Amino acid sequence: MDNKLKISINDLHFSYKDKSVLSGASLRIMENTINAIVGPSGIGKSTFLTTLNRLWDTTSAEMTGKIEIFFHGVPQDIYDPRFPETTLRRKVGMVFQAPNPLPMSIFRNVAFPLKLAGKTSRGETEESVEKALRQAFLWDEVKDRLHKDALLLSGGQQQRLCIARALVLAPEVLLLDEPTSSLDEKAGAVIEELLVELKKNCTMVIVSHYLAQVDRIADTVHELVGGKFVTGRR
Amino acid sequence: MTGWFSKTIRIFSWACGMAFTSIIFFFIGYLLYRGAGSLSLKLIFENTGVIDAVLLRKQVLGGLFPAIAGTIILVLLSVGIAVPIGVAAGIHMAEYARGRWKEALGFFFDILASVPSIVIGLFGLSLSVYLHRTFFPKLYPSLIISALSLAVLVLPYIIRSTQYALESIPESTRIIAPALGASRLQNILYVLIPRASSGILGGIVLAVGRCAEDTAVIMLTGAVAFAGVSRSLFSGYEALPFYIYYISSQYADPAELAEGYAASLILLAICAVFFGVSFIIQKGVESRALYGP
Amino acid sequence: MKALTEKSVVAVFRGSAFLSAGAAALILGFLLVFGLPLFREGRIFSLVTTMWAPAEGRYGILPMLAGTAAIASLGVVLSIPLSFGAAALISVFAPRRWGRFFRAVFLMATGIPTVIYGFVGIFLLAPFVREFFDAGSGLCVLSAALMLAVLVTPTMTIFFVHGFDRTPRSYLQAVDALGGNDVQKLLYVILPGAWRHIIGGITLAAGRAQGDTLLALMLSGNAARIPGEPLESARTLTAHIALVFAADHESPEFLSIFVCGLMLYLFSTLTVVVLRRLEAPFRRQHR
Repeated sequence: MDNKLKISINDLHFSYKDKSVLSGASLRIMENTINAIVGPSGIGKSTFLTTLNRLWDTTSAEMTGKIEIFFHGVPQDIYDPRFPETTLRRKVGMVFQAPNPLPMSIFRNVAFPLKLAGKTSRGETEESVEKALRQAFLWDEVKDRLHKDALLLSGGQQQRLCIARALVLAPEVLLLDEPTSSLDEKAGAVIEELLVELKKNCTMVIVSHYLAQVDRIADTVHELVGGKFVTGRR
Repeated sequence: MTGWFSKTIRIFSWACGMAFTSIIFFFIGYLLYRGAGSLSLKLIFENTGVIDAVLLRKQVLGGLFPAIAGTIILVLLSVGIAVPIGVAAGIHMAEYARGRWKEALGFFFDILASVPSIVIGLFGLSLSVYLHRTFFPKLYPSLIISALSLAVLVLPYIIRSTQYALESIPESTRIIAPALGASRLQNILYVLIPRASSGILGGIVLAVGRCAEDTAVIMLTGAVAFAGVSRSLFSGYEALPFYIYYISSQYADPAELAEGYAASLILLAICAVFFGVSFIIQKGVESRALYGP
Repeated sequence: MKALTEKSVVAVFRGSAFLSAGAAALILGFLLVFGLPLFREGRIFSLVTTMWAPAEGRYGILPMLAGTAAIASLGVVLSIPLSFGAAALISVFAPRRWGRFFRAVFLMATGIPTVIYGFVGIFLLAPFVREFFDAGSGLCVLSAALMLAVLVTPTMTIFFVHGFDRTPRSYLQAVDALGGNDVQKLLYVILPGAWRHIIGGITLAAGRAQGDTLLALMLSGNAARIPGEPLESARTLTAHIALVFAADHESPEFLSIFVCGLMLYLFSTLTVVVLRRLEAPFRRQHR
């Protein structure tokens, strides 16, 4: 493991409707590692994830502190007003607790972020979609029915589809909010396996409730205690 | 509580429901009884061939065809004006307007929704008088003035149904596209609008029904009893509801009265179709009952 | 470039919203501007307090105010018990299937064009009133009010049903647990909890009733004098507009319809204010 810094979080304070969630949280995340965020439910782990792609609700929450992400080795203050949040979110992908494919075909789901980014060349799109689906261990299962409705897939397949969709823009960071909690053990195991494989290309931050899962895949474990991080074993 | 008291309340309640239901069915049955017999192609097209009439190759002078055609043209025009503005305004209300501005805009839309349609007709009339005096001396109450006024009448329905359809989309759906790098507008256009489309469509269909049935607006803004199928936006026109009103007060003989019953049946059928369609599109059809005419 | 298109599209959304809100203001503006000659002469107050006698040069709209008040209030009063009964049936008493049937009938009734109610009223109700009460032509306050009650009952009923259906299930279970029956549920739990919807439904129906044109125009006989009893003829503000709008545009008759329009606008705004007051707690809940 090369010990290059990927994300640096400094003195983060976050409160939601006058309720303090983070108070002085600091964290350093290394490149190409899997970082587990653990702690009791309701303590703000998911909220913390959304500070990394600015997906929190700015109308009812407040945040201070500094978060820098090294994109291709260059540090970027992600709350710099000149840095558009759409650009940030294209570089920092996110996968949610419950699979959330859009009501369109498998292909169009994965191609959707490319459309949003304004990349429309047909050949390029097909290439990227196939690559992302392979990365998400889904290609072999869906290659014959790319134009079928994504909602017909099983839960585990849907979640891998969402991972493929998050990967299609080749993000450098991937945020995962309990990605296996709505799946059965077998489907969860496939996803764990693919996350370990993804370390080659991505830095991952994963919120998880299953300590066994954390033990299996995480390189570093950060426990959220009283609004601060305590970094643990491994 | 004594038994007879509970029983009385229950019986009263059933009586109310049954009474109203029978009144409505009785009305419809009466119209069917009086009108169904006289409903015929000749009544609608007089002596003109159906194809010639529909293709506007021959002017139909008698019959109900000019009124039916007038209502259809009027509805298309007004809804064509109101939909783009209403949907855009609804998007603004749901996705951009916040706090005091949202309150204030909502207040104006509520007023617009509750102003009696005759007052909106009066607005259309005074608009045409004003334009006639100032910029367009040849402008009189006409199809275009009616269409504009009806558009104003149905704007609040379209705005509110768009707004509520968008606002009812859950947060978990709202964040999918932004997490993938969508801008706010992209999220609205690619995810939220398609998701809200049935609600928006339901509102539009209700607006169509409203335009088709309204009488008070059009009687002030250009509807006339006899005009044939109108060929210009700036002329008077016939419309079904106005024709029904006219017949009810001015019928000369039983034949004309029979036309009135038939016209009522046709209008009822048109409105029933639109109402049924919107019922199927969205269960939220109840919003109309609360927002309604 | 892209940011620019996004900005202009968002501006179109905002523009449409303000244009639509502007329409509400513009309507008021036109009423005021056209009624301006009357304001200038300071006659507006005397117009709303005097009689209509064009032959004697008097153009007061007091009879129309009275006509609207009489027909609308009688219609609403008639429909209140009917709506309560029907709403209780749909929401509480009827078995599930029947409840759905009645709900569908009431919803369907809101979709029937007003002009058709009027048409049926002229040929079915007016002769009945004429025969039964031996009342001239049968075109009178009572005929218009009866039909108006039919028109506003579905609206009021559905509004009540919404209110009744909001009752928390736990309250109802509590009554069940105490051995109460459905009538007791309705009287002691559902009705007290739904008072906002009850006032709201009545206000909404009153707004609808005062704004109705066709039924009054077709069924009330349109005599411009203050009605003394339900079997007399009367003219509403709305019907007055519909009857006089074709007069010479400079004449005092024509000007009087803008005063009627202003009154109707004022009443509508009032109902909106009341309804928004009643809704306020629910709206805050939703945001």
